[in-house]
Amino acid sequence: MFRKRRLGLQVTAPLMAVGFSVLVGSVIMLAIGANPLQAYAVLFGFSLGRIDSIASILFKATPLIFSGLAMVVSFRMGLFNIGVEGQYMVGAFAAALAGFGLKGLPAIIHIPIVMAAGMAGAMLWAALPIYLKIKRGVHEVISTIMMNYIAYSFLHWLLADVFLDRTQVLGQGGFGSPRVRTPELAASARMPTLHKLFAAVGIQLPHYIYVSYLLFIGIALAVVVHYIIWKTPFGYELRAVAQNGPAAAAAGINSERVMVKAFLLSAAIAGLAGLSDLMTFFGYYDIDFPRSYGFNGIAVALLGRNSAAGVIVGALLFGMLARGAEGVQVMTGVPAEVITILQSVMILSIVVAYEIITRYVRTQRKKEVGA
Amino acid sequence: MISIKGVTKRFPGVLANDHISLEVREGEIHAIVGENGAGKSTLMKILYGLYQPDEGSIELRGHPVRIDGPARAVALGIGMVHQHFMLIPRFTVLENIILGHETARFGVIDRRASEQRVKELAGQYGFAIDPKAMVATLSVGQQQRVEILKVLYRGADLLILDEPTAVLAPQEVTELFANLRLLAAGGKTIIFIGHKLDEVMEIADRVTVLRRGQVVGTMAAGETSREGLAEMMVGRPVLFRIQKNPCHPGAPLLSLDDVTVAGVGGTARGHGRGHGVGGSQGPAWRTRIARAAVDGLSLQVNGGEIYGIAGVEGNGQTELVEGIFNLQPVTSGRVMVLGKDVTNRPTAQIRAGGIAYIPEDRHRRGLVLPMSIWENLILGSHRRREFVRRALLDRDRILGHATKLREQYDIRLADMDAPVLALSGGNQQKVIVARELAQSPQVVIASQPTRGLDVGAAEFVRQRLLEMRDAGRAVLLISADLEEVLSLSDRVGVMFRGKIVAEFPAEEATPQLLGPYMLGGAAPAEMEIPLADARGEGGEARV
Ligand SMILES: Nc1ncnc2c1ncn2[C@@H]1O[C@H](COP(=O)(O)OP(=O)(O)OP(=O)(O)O)[C@@H](O)[C@H]1O
Ligand SMILES: [Mg+2]
Repeated sequence: MFRKRRLGLQVTAPLMAVGFSVLVGSVIMLAIGANPLQAYAVLFGFSLGRIDSIASILFKATPLIFSGLAMVVSFRMGLFNIGVEGQYMVGAFAAALAGFGLKGLPAIIHIPIVMAAGMAGAMLWAALPIYLKIKRGVHEVISTIMMNYIAYSFLHWLLADVFLDRTQVLGQGGFGSPRVRTPELAASARMPTLHKLFAAVGIQLPHYIYVSYLLFIGIALAVVVHYIIWKTPFGYELRAVAQNGPAAAAAGINSERVMVKAFLLSAAIAGLAGLSDLMTFFGYYDIDFPRSYGFNGIAVALLGRNSAAGVIVGALLFGMLARGAEGVQVMTGVPAEVITILQSVMILSIVVAYEIITRYVRTQRKKEVGA
Repeated sequence: MISIKGVTKRFPGVLANDHISLEVREGEIHAIVGENGAGKSTLMKILYGLYQPDEGSIELRGHPVRIDGPARAVALGIGMVHQHFMLIPRFTVLENIILGHETARFGVIDRRASEQRVKELAGQYGFAIDPKAMVATLSVGQQQRVEILKVLYRGADLLILDEPTAVLAPQEVTELFANLRLLAAGGKTIIFIGHKLDEVMEIADRVTVLRRGQVVGTMAAGETSREGLAEMMVGRPVLFRIQKNPCHPGAPLLSLDDVTVAGVGGTARGHGRGHGVGGSQGPAWRTRIARAAVDGLSLQVNGGEIYGIAGVEGNGQTELVEGIFNLQPVTSGRVMVLGKDVTNRPTAQIRAGGIAYIPEDRHRRGLVLPMSIWENLILGSHRRREFVRRALLDRDRILGHATKLREQYDIRLADMDAPVLALSGGNQQKVIVARELAQSPQVVIASQPTRGLDVGAAEFVRQRLLEMRDAGRAVLLISADLEEVLSLSDRVGVMFRGKIVAEFPAEEATPQLLGPYMLGGAAPAEMEIPLADARGEGGEARV
């Protein structure tokens, strides 16, 4: 009974948000003289119409599943880990180190090591903020934003001065400037893509599609996160501390320890967000390594109403929009930026809708509390 | 004045109000009593516009009204005094009262006019309160007065008080009742909900009994007795006598040795409650002396014994209990449980030694309101081996355990998966008591264990505490209900300003004897203190 009602509320906010942003998108397109119906037709038709396009959506969704799950864990703990952004970058860099630094390992060992390095790097980057939070009461939003900026600069320095790949073949007959990137990952550190799997069911994916087994790892992780939060004693403690700290303390739950664990767990998951690009698409960490998976992860988690299953839906939606934006630009002349606006409006309205629903639930709750 | 006609309210799986018809007359004090979960609060929330009835109608002075929200209720002259005070501690009494209903002149709050009005109201109904005092320095009883004034200031003719005496000390109840009588004499109509039937008989003109969402009957308070009311509520005779076996004290299981708890910052509840003595405006609560909340307190509770702490709320009881569990640091002294020094040890470790904790404030310390009922029933024992299987919480086992507790403690609920906040107040309290006593603890710290419970449930919990004692366990009982302390305890200590200022064996302790000590008048702390032996005689006590 109560489970059903909760589900109903969970679905309302995202739907409201998606509907509202489609509306706003239409207004904008009308304003610039484009036909919104056509644009939306292309948006959906193009992205969902072809199998390679769907595979591309899956590739784009993969990192967001991880960053979204990282946000879910932190939100459930009542912490706002904005640092997922910096954490996944440091994580990806650490993973790159393990990827090119270790040689001669079989893939079955090398790949897990690279992934572990990604998680460890991100956890390292989260250690200071949570330490400051517990010991000094520094709000995690402030400290993690700061850590994000430090990450950008720190990685830049590491790339340009310390780990720059000096073996790369330079353009212009050897006189061009080198790309600011690490050496390439060993072949044993590359995550296999899903080409063979698709081929087994008779679908030939083109070579420029990079969707990999990380997608399945992400989905499996969503299940694990769901279990951790709702079924394990640790998740129980996490929810108790987040929802009533004093009562949790009275029950003998060490809230500081729970918070540290949850924050590091969030970071460890974040550390996997950059690996899809690193281990399949690029094969090295470079100065143009994709940014903002962390911030999009916040939106995905909100869109998914803070549930692990919702994150997968949200990530796929974002992947679809990103893919559709390419098509819309090519085929209708509507700039891809409009889709970005659509995305942003969706994030904003999700936050607003979420707030409205939460307030509604809160007033309901107030009424429900018996005297 | 107001008539409720066939009002029905359903919640998922529960018929909270079942065709309730009820008439409240102008100028009367109308009490509503009933078991926990009988539907009293729900009915009041309907009157105050917080819930909409599924069926039925409400008539105010003969006119049908639709109360679609609290704002509408206020406009109709209906006011509700909330049990959880909604006051801003840093504002003065006056500011709190006029908040949201300021009279302004030229866009500036007209303090003088408001103050005049508040003073008039206070004078008219005999509220002793200083409008300029900061709310943070007020005692519980005084804060409640502010709440009532707030409602009056908004022009209420019908006042709803849902369990107003649950948080009050006996003297404060007396003062509240004096206020209520003046209000009724002044033409106000009052609906009063309470579980203490003596109080109900004392204050009410008429009493309506609810049982399982239905009206059992309405009668004049003079025509009925406590026993009669209880029987109507529960549907069977209720024992008001507790059979107490002789006490056979064993070894000390809990000893507090010169314990000091600074209490700075304190808890939200403890904060600023001052050290109020009823409502008498003694210097104790006015000047907030920089004194430790618990000030070198020593006491011992033996196995097979109930040690009761009597005292006015705000004299360090909260801090004492929180100090025992290291929820506030013990600044000096020693806490020994089962012979082991647990001073400032991690709470989990203290509790693992077999010590149960029934907190005074169930919403703050006892429950995680949004979590489900079954989850709340294992809070603190959620890591016990029987509840965890292959690293996951064993839902089936836990539900089995929860169902057993539910039956044993008669917790009225429709769905174990519902959040615990969907339970009625008394049933929430049962969840805590059931959970804490289920672990067969060696030591029980029970703060206001029967607060909000109906007569039957309170009787059951008291019986359970006595069983614990008879089984050789140690019980430390802290209660604002002096009668409860006196009837259950084998020894009684009076707590005043962070110290036990006097200790009596149960047979000698009477309200008359204890009263002066509770007010701090009888014995300056330096004077010789009568200390009782831990030796008990059997006896029968009235509750
Ligand atoms: N918001 C809600 N959702 C679901 N059930 C509810 C809700 N509010 C109340 N109930 C149920 O309705 C019934 C009546 O509750 P109510 O709070 O009115 O009882 P009460 O008479 O005030 O009891 P108490 O003396 O314990 O305060 C209970 O069974 C309770 O569980
Ligand atoms: Mg109630």
